[in-house]
Amino acid sequence: MAPPPKVTITYCAECGYEDETLALARSLMLEFGGSISGIELIPWEGGTFDVSVGGVLVHSMKRDGGFADHGRVKAAVRATLEV
Amino acid sequence: MTVSRERFDQGMTYDEYKAQMTRNRETLEANERAVEITDADRRAFSRKVSALVLAEDWCGDVVANLPVLGRLAQDTGNVDVRVFLRDKNLDLMEQYLNQGKFQSIPVFVFFDQANDGWRELGHWIERPASVTEKRREERTKIYASDPRFGSPDAPVDQLSADVRAELQGRLVKMRADTAVWANREVLRELGEIVAR
Repeated sequence: MAPPPKVTITYCAECGYEDETLALARSLMLEFGGSISGIELIPWEGGTFDVSVGGVLVHSMKRDGGFADHGRVKAAVRATLEV
Repeated sequence: MTVSRERFDQGMTYDEYKAQMTRNRETLEANERAVEITDADRRAFSRKVSALVLAEDWCGDVVANLPVLGRLAQDTGNVDVRVFLRDKNLDLMEQYLNQGKFQSIPVFVFFDQANDGWRELGHWIERPASVTEKRREERTKIYASDPRFGSPDAPVDQLSADVRAELQGRLVKMRADTAVWANREVLRELGEIVAR
């Protein structure tokens, strides 16, 4: 069985993305509890809002546009847990 | 299909847009103060035009580039700016997609008001290609300057916290150092649109 994944949210601290970052982190905490190994929040720059699950980038504001869809991130976490 | 004058008039003025911002207003206004309008810009905008804007306050390119248009409008008195929130006006957004598929903002759409007319002059999206390219080159140089920074394409969460902090500082400084030039590029491109 694969180890529980870590979710990393890299957000633009200059852009005021804290609310979206915390909302996603909270949503993941409530959904997965201790099933994930951790949630790391990384303040960054340049309009970034990237989410990776187990080292795999599942959302990028630059690539996909906008903030991450919570359902899509949760689906990525679930897929990792089911491996 | 274009945007009607009646629809345009429903947008927020620049000041109304700023008043409803929930974040980044201080940064936007600091950027506005840094914009320098030249006589060449005033000549380029010597006739009345209308500028429809699609924006959201969380977008870095909006915070960087909308103040250039706002400052230009204030200085010349010849640009009637009306702002629409992208996510509440997707029908407008659909008309000005970046490369036909991306909802990139800001979007500035210029209309000629001459002789009580209403003619679309052209539109501008996100940021000048020259700015994207210049900053890409500068990012590449910064990453190449220190092997600890790794690849520009690699996720930053793979870097240690101290290396990340150093890299972040260098990237922020690079964008600040190129901001005045980038504003000039925006003004040059906007001037070319209204010259049509």
